Amino acid sequence: MNLPIAEESLNSMLERMLPANVDDADIYIERTESEGISLEEGMVKHVSASTDQGIGARVIMGEASGHACSDSFEDDALMQVADAARTISTHQTQAPVAPIKIDAAKHQLYQSSSPVIGVSLLARRQLLEEIDSLARSLDPRITQVFASINNGFKEVHILRLDGALLHDKRPMVSFSISVIVEQGDKKETGSAGGGGRFSLTELFQSGEAQRLTREAVRLALLNLDAIDSPAGSMPIVLGSGWPGVLLHEAIGHGLEGDFNRKGSSAFSDKMGQRIASKGVNVVDDGTISKRRGSLNMDDEGTPTQCTPLIEDGILVGYMQDKLNARLMGGQSTGNGRRESYASPVLPRMTNTFMLAGQDDPQDIISSLERGIYAVNFSGGQVDITSGKFVFTTSEAYLVEKGKIIAPLKNATLIGNGPDVLQRVSMIGNDLKLDPGVGTCGKEGQSVPVGVGLPTLRVDEMIVGGTQA
Amino acid sequence: MSQLEEISQKLLSFAKEQAVVDADVLAIRNTSDAFNVRHGNIETVEREDAQGIGLRAFVQQKGGLAFASASSSDFSDNGLRALAKQVVDMAQVSAPDSDAMPPAGAPHPEALTQHPLSADIWQREQAITAAIQCEEAALNASNSIQNSDGASAAYGLSHQCYASADGFVGSHSQSYASLSVSVIAQQGQDMQRDYDYSRAVTGKQLDNAANIGRLAAQRTSRRLGAKSTKSGTMTVMFEPRVAVSLLGHLSAAVNARSIMQKTSFLNDAINQDLFPKWVTIHDLPDHPLAWNFNPFDGEGCATQEATLIDQGTLCFYPSNRYVAKRMGIPHTAHAQRGLTGDIGIGLNNLLWQPGQQSQQELISDISHGVLITELMGSGVNGVTGDYSRGAAGFMIENGVITHPLHEMTIAGNLTDMFKNIRAVGSDLRWFGSRGVASVVIDGMTVAGQS
Repeated sequence: MNLPIAEESLNSMLERMLPANVDDADIYIERTESEGISLEEGMVKHVSASTDQGIGARVIMGEASGHACSDSFEDDALMQVADAARTISTHQTQAPVAPIKIDAAKHQLYQSSSPVIGVSLLARRQLLEEIDSLARSLDPRITQVFASINNGFKEVHILRLDGALLHDKRPMVSFSISVIVEQGDKKETGSAGGGGRFSLTELFQSGEAQRLTREAVRLALLNLDAIDSPAGSMPIVLGSGWPGVLLHEAIGHGLEGDFNRKGSSAFSDKMGQRIASKGVNVVDDGTISKRRGSLNMDDEGTPTQCTPLIEDGILVGYMQDKLNARLMGGQSTGNGRRESYASPVLPRMTNTFMLAGQDDPQDIISSLERGIYAVNFSGGQVDITSGKFVFTTSEAYLVEKGKIIAPLKNATLIGNGPDVLQRVSMIGNDLKLDPGVGTCGKEGQSVPVGVGLPTLRVDEMIVGGTQA
Repeated sequence: MSQLEEISQKLLSFAKEQAVVDADVLAIRNTSDAFNVRHGNIETVEREDAQGIGLRAFVQQKGGLAFASASSSDFSDNGLRALAKQVVDMAQVSAPDSDAMPPAGAPHPEALTQHPLSADIWQREQAITAAIQCEEAALNASNSIQNSDGASAAYGLSHQCYASADGFVGSHSQSYASLSVSVIAQQGQDMQRDYDYSRAVTGKQLDNAANIGRLAAQRTSRRLGAKSTKSGTMTVMFEPRVAVSLLGHLSAAVNARSIMQKTSFLNDAINQDLFPKWVTIHDLPDHPLAWNFNPFDGEGCATQEATLIDQGTLCFYPSNRYVAKRMGIPHTAHAQRGLTGDIGIGLNNLLWQPGQQSQQELISDISHGVLITELMGSGVNGVTGDYSRGAAGFMIENGVITHPLHEMTIAGNLTDMFKNIRAVGSDLRWFGSRGVASVVIDGMTVAGQS
């Protein structure tokens, strides 16, 4: 692994950073190369690329931490970063510095080579042109096609206080498409996307881009016939896969260590208590091969793991980084993540999903006397303190007497995190993970995540339609 | 010449050594300091020093010019040379566009105005003291305030330089300061969090730290005891903090690029009455309280003050040179450029002309409605204008606030919502690049538990 900074420079940087009363410290070195190619109006009008590199230093004492970063690897810049991170301490004496030793990663969940190898920009342009023709051939009402391929390769080096030097190379590819359809003076849109930590070659060979294109077209056409959504409280059936964003918003954020240490989460002090119906099991698993939310190690060098959060309805675990784990008397669960060298580490989710239950998905839909079957969502948000969360449907149906009646216009669903999983009455046997589109925002930092869900019945949620 | 200008010129000269027809460069450098304080102790200290440079280059292909862009944080000669070569190679893959608009011939400003960059940048100790005072005032303001999510103080400087191969070089700098606090109120099982903040160009312009703290505490404790509401059609009042999102939806919908791509619900809306007659919204490239200062746009073209909505009517679609040419509409110098990516379009600072009535007067005119103080989620469809978002706020009955509300949604369609605006308050507040007062809209669907 070629380190862009000499080991001795790193050593003297660490030496300068560490006050004698330090609890933890690390140096994070990153280089990320990314490319994007996009199509509109039938043409690839633009390709772009960026290279970002930089170094972040962190000094932690008790609950306090000092961060500093720079995008220069020159010795002067490194020493300034070390000094700025150290300002958290007024202690004059230095701590001794452990010798650097290379540490091997615990697992290898994805390739350690760039995802672009073997797929030229020209090949990517040709795929997008092919996608454009495919989309337009599917229905004459299609007036616009927007499609893009993005890829990134992030190399991370972490030097820990104990002298361990760890490396991780993280590939990422994604494909996204949206189409506009017009019929008379009605206009609608449909979109789809997917990806993960694998190569562009795999993306190309899987036929996923073509499948997602058909999906976007299907959704747009469906929306042309959508009727106004009802408004008010009613039972909801969530489809499998991406609707797992419910878990991410309703309980996931509330189970992140920082909010619970500070007592600001609606789930603070609920450990060991029932927060979901019997039969509900939820985990955060950063170790699934090639998934968008997976990592060999987190951004503090801790190996990722599968962390049980809810077992048979009982809250059993929080997601932790090192600082919050130490202050709460536990161990890091490998959830310490940062957007880049320039951002502080926070406890974040990886892939969060509910395990499968026993029910037949068709029976779950048929159980609705009058309610909504929500198959897909466009995104969500949570207030972790009050526990209120929302998410917005992108594909949903009105169901009456167990039968699907009509597609519904996009509507926002709102619920209360600590209640919603206690209203789960049926769990499907069809757990599915999302296609690899999730990006989670917290304190201004975006990180890739995954979600998953089996078909699920929730007895009551509020639907924000216009038909009161 | 500043360091950013020198680096920009150097990158342009390396680009010219390649087979480029035209090129332009954006270079930025930002420094920032941020402090978080919780329960009176410093919790985090953050220092960032970041730079970046982006090159956009046009090459000649059969059928027209094609272009690509790339960015890097490596300002060394080798780094800049590699960047120039990378962009030119990539541009060979882009499709030629006979309407392509390279920077040559852009109407660059003759003289450059400089923002009087304040020497009064906040200092570390001032910022920390302000954060501590702000949090202390919030925690002491009410017995119901039980916990703190912390107070933050931040300040920084940003510099940027735009240079194009046709000889234009322009740069500008700006400072900013911000102070915020978030606290938690608790009563039995009911836990609520809210915040208040101030953002300005210099530390001196910020609201008083203790006032921000007291307001945050007041906003938080008044949420205790919130209930859901009955569903129905009612009047919805957006306080300034949430009304600002309406300006965001308007900006996205009038963007000429969305109009060209037919992805906006405001197609063919020029000279149409989108709002009631008394609504006026201005776009200002420079305002003493606003965060954006844009003496020229992302293509180096001179910006100017403009009225976007005049007496309820849409006056123009903000455009860049490419979109203006493609659509045959006036060029309004609203190009927005990042280090990489296609040239976008964005308004500068939007000021929604305030009305005469205070918040209290607006409330007393509402017989049955809700005051919205928080919006959640992204349920706005820019293609159709359909609107559905999670909300929290207060019930208004017969002109009086009766109790706090949560776990509800508000829904409608933006076309109708804009038309059904009943009043705009006098309580103008700036939020970064947008200034807005309370907005009252009739006939929205509110959904709750029954």
